[in-house]
Amino acid sequence: MAKFASAMLEANENDLVFENGRVFVKGAPASRKSFAEVAAFAYVPVPLPPGLEPGLSEEAFFEPTNNTYPFGCHISVVEVDRETGEPTLLKLVAVDDAGHLINPLIVEGQIHGGLAQGIGQAMIEEAVYNADGQLVTGSFMDYAMPRATDFPRFELDATVTPTPVNPLGAKGVGEAGTLGSTPSIVCAVVDALSEFGVKHIDMMLRPEKLWRIIHGGQA
Amino acid sequence: MIPTAFEYERASSIDDALAKLKAAGGEAKLLAGGHSLVPLMKLRLSEPKLLIDIARIPGLSGIREKDGKIEIGAGTTHAEVASSALLRDKCPVVADAAGEIGDPQVRNRGTLGGSLAHADPSADYPAVMLAVDAEIHVKGLKGWRAVKAADFFQDLFTVNLAPDEIIAGVQFAPVKAAAYAKLHQRASHFAIVGVAAALEVAQGTIRSARVGLTGASTHAMRLSSVEQALAGKPATAKTIEEAAREAGAGVEAVNADIHASEEYRRAMIPVFTRRALAAALARV
Repeated sequence: MAKFASAMLEANENDLVFENGRVFVKGAPASRKSFAEVAAFAYVPVPLPPGLEPGLSEEAFFEPTNNTYPFGCHISVVEVDRETGEPTLLKLVAVDDAGHLINPLIVEGQIHGGLAQGIGQAMIEEAVYNADGQLVTGSFMDYAMPRATDFPRFELDATVTPTPVNPLGAKGVGEAGTLGSTPSIVCAVVDALSEFGVKHIDMMLRPEKLWRIIHGGQA
Repeated sequence: MIPTAFEYERASSIDDALAKLKAAGGEAKLLAGGHSLVPLMKLRLSEPKLLIDIARIPGLSGIREKDGKIEIGAGTTHAEVASSALLRDKCPVVADAAGEIGDPQVRNRGTLGGSLAHADPSADYPAVMLAVDAEIHVKGLKGWRAVKAADFFQDLFTVNLAPDEIIAGVQFAPVKAAAYAKLHQRASHFAIVGVAAALEVAQGTIRSARVGLTGASTHAMRLSSVEQALAGKPATAKTIEEAAREAGAGVEAVNADIHASEEYRRAMIPVFTRRALAAALARV
């Protein structure tokens, strides 16, 4: 900025004073330029001062003293149709701690998206390969992309535990939705089917798979 | 994912479309909503040289009541059927089934006639057309033909329709006591098993029943043994339970794919038969 200001004010960089959003030559505050004027000139510098390139940019790196550790708890209520094995997600409550929420709307959006991904993986998405290694769920006719209609209305809440490792006290939230939802749903179904002695079910929760657990004797 | 090159023409009437079909000498396909044909073309399983667009033929779409019967034009979209006040009032099973087809995008584009002509083994409409005993109205160069739904669906993607004929619409006597129950394939929302049931009940007795099955086999079919087991019996949950128990036992070729094994599909036929019948009975 000093380089462009010195060209505009036809003065030596060392004689410039930066004060209250303005820059002027020491002892001559009357002929001054605002930062905005200097910035505007920097982007369209006609003529281009010798030795300069257009634009004002600066890059700095911040190295926190540690990673941030967001955490949370997701609870799912899932109903399994005894006759068909179809699982239905009735309710999902996600409480996540991302520290200070700078923009809560965006945080909720991130969690909604993550939940869709996590629920999809547990319930309807599966990359199936045949014995020859051919992907047989290669189109959206066979691979179920989660849609809004596949979900109940999510219930979100947050605890706020600011991180000490950055000045904002904010922590990451991008993956929060995917982390808790998937095991929460599968565990809910395992719990629902516990009367059949099941302790583990591989994702995805295909209705036929659950039907076989329920109707093990006759299946 | 890219179809072979094709020509495109828009037909102004059914007769115009028939003339264009004849002129193309078997190299043309009719395009309506394109939701069955275009995916096949993208996979190059279908490579027509000419597409004849029938989507904008005046009068080919619409739902109306005439002489106590309901007519649905072949070009009517699933969304229009699903939201029809007339159908919701007089024959809700048809609107219900249309509302369960695919997703909103599919329902806004796909058409009744297209679904019937394509006859996907997992399509929803065929089961319902069987249950309401619809007549499918077909026009060819020699004139009109009416085909009963029971005679229309013949085999895998095979229907009683010549290559130079066009489905104009369907007609059926509305049945209030009818319902559709379906196990959804969660990606495409085709039916893994779908059952449409229609009951005629008088003085607490089931006079007759029609039950249409889709998704389970090569093509949609009537479950006549279930129909016979219901006829003349008291209209009760117990009757339905007993009639549905062996549903589908006589179906020879049952489909198996990554979404459902043959064993699972067979087990689901009685379940969804009972559910469709129970929902139909609730509408008596």
